[in-house]
Amino acid sequence: MRKGIVQLVAIAVLIGVLVTLVAVLFQWLPTSASEEFDRIQDIYWFATIISIGIFAVVAAVVVYSVWKWRVPLDDDADGPPIHGHTGLEIIWTAVPAILVIAIGIASAVVLSENGRAGERPLQVNVVGQQFTWKFVYSDYGDLTSGELVLPVGREVRFTMTSVDVIHSFWVPNFGQKQDAVPGIETTILVTPKRTGEFAVICAELCGLGHATMRAKARVVTQSEFDAWVKEQAG
Amino acid sequence: MTTTQHEPEQVEAYPEHFEPPHGPTWRLIFGPGLVRGVWVAGLFFVLGMLLVAGLRFWWGWDPVWLWDVILPIAGMVTAPIGFLGGIGAFDYWLHYISGRPTRPEDHSGHGARTWKDYFRVNTDHKVIGIQYLVTTFTFFTIGGLMAMFFRAELAQPGLQFLDSQTFNGLVSAHATLMIFLFIIPAFAGIANFVVPLMLGAPDMAFPRLNALSYWLLPIAGVLFLASFLAPGGSFATGWTGYAPLAEGQPLGQTFFNMGVQWAGASSVMTALNFLVTIITMRAPGMTFWRMPLLVWANFTTSLLVVIATPFIAGSQFFVMFDRIMHTSFFTPEGGGYALGYQHIFWFYSHPAVYIMMLPGFGIVSEVISANARKPIFGYRLMALSLVGILFLGFSVWAHHMFVAGMADWLRVPMMITTLLIAIPTGIKVFSWIATLWRGRIHLTTPMLFALGFVTMFVIGGLSGIYLGSVPIDIAASDTYFIVAHIHYVLFGGSVFTIFAGVYFWFPKMTGRMYDERLGKLHFWLTFVSFNATFFPMHYIGLRGMPRRVFDYDEAFGDLNFVITIASFVLGASFVVFVYNVVQSWVRGPVADANPWRAHSLEWQVSSPPPIFNFDEIPQVVGGPYEYGVPGARHAVMRSGEAAREVQHA
Amino acid sequence: MTSHAEAVHGGHEHHGPPPAHKSSRVDARVLGMLLFIGSEIMLFGSFFTVYFFVRVVNPDAPSEWPPPPYEFPVFVAGINTAILVTSSFTMHWALQSIKRGQRSAFLAGMVITFVMGLAFLLTQVIEYLHVGFNTGDGAFASVFFGLTGLHGAHVAVGLTLLGMVIIRGFRGHFSPEHHHGVELPGIYWHFVDIMWIVVYSTVYLL
Ligand code: HEA
Ligand code: HEA
Ligand code: CUA
Ligand SMILES: [Cu+2]
Repeated sequence: MRKGIVQLVAIAVLIGVLVTLVAVLFQWLPTSASEEFDRIQDIYWFATIISIGIFAVVAAVVVYSVWKWRVPLDDDADGPPIHGHTGLEIIWTAVPAILVIAIGIASAVVLSENGRAGERPLQVNVVGQQFTWKFVYSDYGDLTSGELVLPVGREVRFTMTSVDVIHSFWVPNFGQKQDAVPGIETTILVTPKRTGEFAVICAELCGLGHATMRAKARVVTQSEFDAWVKEQAG
Repeated sequence: MTTTQHEPEQVEAYPEHFEPPHGPTWRLIFGPGLVRGVWVAGLFFVLGMLLVAGLRFWWGWDPVWLWDVILPIAGMVTAPIGFLGGIGAFDYWLHYISGRPTRPEDHSGHGARTWKDYFRVNTDHKVIGIQYLVTTFTFFTIGGLMAMFFRAELAQPGLQFLDSQTFNGLVSAHATLMIFLFIIPAFAGIANFVVPLMLGAPDMAFPRLNALSYWLLPIAGVLFLASFLAPGGSFATGWTGYAPLAEGQPLGQTFFNMGVQWAGASSVMTALNFLVTIITMRAPGMTFWRMPLLVWANFTTSLLVVIATPFIAGSQFFVMFDRIMHTSFFTPEGGGYALGYQHIFWFYSHPAVYIMMLPGFGIVSEVISANARKPIFGYRLMALSLVGILFLGFSVWAHHMFVAGMADWLRVPMMITTLLIAIPTGIKVFSWIATLWRGRIHLTTPMLFALGFVTMFVIGGLSGIYLGSVPIDIAASDTYFIVAHIHYVLFGGSVFTIFAGVYFWFPKMTGRMYDERLGKLHFWLTFVSFNATFFPMHYIGLRGMPRRVFDYDEAFGDLNFVITIASFVLGASFVVFVYNVVQSWVRGPVADANPWRAHSLEWQVSSPPPIFNFDEIPQVVGGPYEYGVPGARHAVMRSGEAAREVQHA
Repeated sequence: MTSHAEAVHGGHEHHGPPPAHKSSRVDARVLGMLLFIGSEIMLFGSFFTVYFFVRVVNPDAPSEWPPPPYEFPVFVAGINTAILVTSSFTMHWALQSIKRGQRSAFLAGMVITFVMGLAFLLTQVIEYLHVGFNTGDGAFASVFFGLTGLHGAHVAVGLTLLGMVIIRGFRGHFSPEHHHGVELPGIYWHFVDIMWIVVYSTVYLL
């Protein structure tokens, strides 16, 4: 029996290592370009560690049992009549409970941090319409643009709505996503931390042009941003 | 191709009280059956048309012939009712209403003697079970073929050979057929066949209602498919049909609205029937704590169905009213509230994902314990965890709306309840693997699928945990990560269990054994190509590919190509299954009454079971999984025992 | 399958299944009807939910309900409420009568119930014609027609069931021993009545 346990653990470790390799050798997440996405990635890795552990345990027991206790199809005997084990049942109720509550608390913390607006964020009103995006900078005399230009390092509050059906504002590298719903206003915060060009994607099915409802997002330095504003206004 | 053995004098095609139609032609046209179904449907279509046109004429509305109204009423309400009446689903009740003599214990519609009997209104739960399974697998093939088409389109970025309407239409119809015409009713089919037998009951509580529930299904399926013929194309708003998008769509969307009603009515009726059967028709000695877990699973599922399904009916009614009667439930211009749709829809559709999973849990419990030759580990907790999922399942619907703009304060409570579902589900997973522990494991095909299910479902469930965490969901929602989650839980979960169930009860249903080697080939092909198809979707989703798009970033081109190829292999693997089933059904070796040496009641009668299941109702004396317990028995069969001897002789 | 004939016909020896074991004291058909009603309550629930959304959750909901130029015919509907509630009592009376074997009282009760149900439905149709707004006039009209219409459809179904009882009643199919065919439509009818009170209070009074 002791030897069996050792073998089982070995299999679990092997599976765990394999899955971990899959998790770290590929770059699963887009490079983060916002402070919010950094925090989301922390939760992501936390959930990944737990998931790897759980998958390794389940898969190891299945593989080990089949390997050890497989019998030919015409075998007539029965296994030992084990009906349950209270201790085990308590463990596998309690441990997952603790783990998911940990995930829940960590998520709630990140959620509230990502939702806490600092002082005077840059206000951008987003309007979705089949099948284009419009960005309105209310701090700059309702400057309107089809391209999203943001200064790096400054918190931005997006307030969005839609004139027809539901769209969803999404910049994968920002990690933030929010539906634009006709009739109500929704908001989301993003603090870009890296300059570069990113894609604005509509993530909610909004009709035949949904796949093409894209825009460009440019994160630039503050001075470039000021220049851009001036140029647009002029 | 009969499923049941008969003593011929039991079955009269027409009991003496129902005057038989005169000649054979007369009988063909006016007797209950598909022919009468078709012409009465046509007649009712015309009647419905005249009704609408007449009313519009009377009110002085213009135009009188408004097809957007006529088609929903005549084509999707009265014609289907006419069809049901025509095939004879209402004959008994019409006799009853008109006050003519009826005989509740009439079994004229019972059992199948030839394959033709499967195309009639049949009140035998075993025949209905098979009707369900064959129908649902047909729709699975169609829905799968649709996936093949749009997967081919997705092999490269940009539009190749579909247009965007067709693409969206195929995706929507794919999911709709898979959910409403495959997973949900396929489980109902298996349960229909097995549950009354497991309970020691001669049939379901309401056999005629049971027959009616089945016949509502093809109506729903035909409506979904017919939408492709509608002007403007089929419904193209995903299986979720979100308002307000759905409200501005062409006529095809109405087919979705109404098809869902028929499918929903079918599931509610079946669920009612299961509940009443399980509560009132258990054999003596069959307490709730002696019921097989499959019965428990269907009990909890049926409760979910009865409580939740009316909400999707409501949601589709509102959309249809908004579309046709210009109400404004969900249109902000008229004072409606757009997010209302999603709340109502998901209040059904989240429980629906457990409707699509719990019966599978039941199947897997049966398969694993019989093939590991051990009692199911922690039987009571297994049953209670189903009940736990039932309750929790109603409190998590808004996890589909984390980015939808709903009230912020709802997010964290819904996240917590969502995550808590991992606990009862985990109990089930751990109990299954504990059942394997030190068992004597027979790697039969159903067992392979059950073990494949356990591992794949854990992957799908864990990706569900990622999504349950609000911040991760904000990043991953509406991407291919969701598509991956869907298919790991629905294909690796539900479909694997359906395959397990079909292989497991195949000998019982058909009286013949399937081919074990083909079965294993089917499993391994499916298992490998399934992972090759859907695992990479996690990656492209997180990297930034949204779902429901025909065009995508060049960067995802190569992986999508690989996925498409893998999905073709996955499609091909299904051909192995179909071949195995068809050829074994026709000329497979004759099966024993109890090839798995299982204890539950369905295995204690012949294969296929006698027309009324039991000659005498058995006496239940113990639990259903007492493998390895010396001298333990689940039930005493009385004279049923004799029937088995006869079959072996 | 457990059922017995409401009135036995032919009565010849029938080779059928063994009678199922009755594992619950609840009658299968009553249980079925109750579960069905549970499902119906949820259907109404979805309509109340949408009402809640447009009137309470919606940020643009009008503060006055219904929005000013329009009014709900509270009085007519009140009379209708009285009619429907009374019909519940006549229904009960009919059922009690057949249980006691008083056939003519039973038939009278059924007919009165039916007529009152019909009167309710007709009043509702007339109310619709004179209410002064149409389905397209805004969300308040949507929920008004939605809830009252859904209920009206249930009255229509209830009337069909009652009609069925009347036809069979006149043919002498019920007796003190066999009255399930009266009891079940009766349960449904009571449900329709109670539902109306809820609908009336939320739509007209609140
Ligand atoms: C069979 C169907 C099925 C099942 C069973 C599930 C199960 C779960 N689902 Fe899934 N889901 C779908 C079908 C299903 N889902 C579909 C179809 C959609 C998309 C709809 C659409 O938009 O089109 C969806 C979408 C969906 C979303 C919305 C995503 C979005 O659109 O943004 C979320 C978010 O929370 C979610 C979560 C979960 C969770 C937490 C579970 C849990 O029940 C999973 C629980 C199981 C486990 C966790 C594994 C076993 C447990 C253990 C081994 C114990 C230890 C575990 C831990 C400690 C973590 N699902
Ligand atoms: C049970 C449910 C179920 C099942 C089984 C499947 C099966 C498959 N699904 Fe689907 N899918 C969904 C439920 C399901 N899906 C849902 C709910 C959605 C969301 C839709 C939405 O966004 O609204 C979705 C969406 C969805 C997408 C995303 C579309 C998009 O967002 O744009 C994709 C993309 O690859 C996909 C692929 C597949 C594939 C390749 C299969 C394969 O497994 C199919 C395999 C094929 C077959 C089994 C049939 C093969 C038949 C033959 C080869 C012919 C043989 C003929 C004879 C033998 C007679 N599905
Ligand atoms: Cu806008 Cu999709
Ligand atoms: Cu869900």
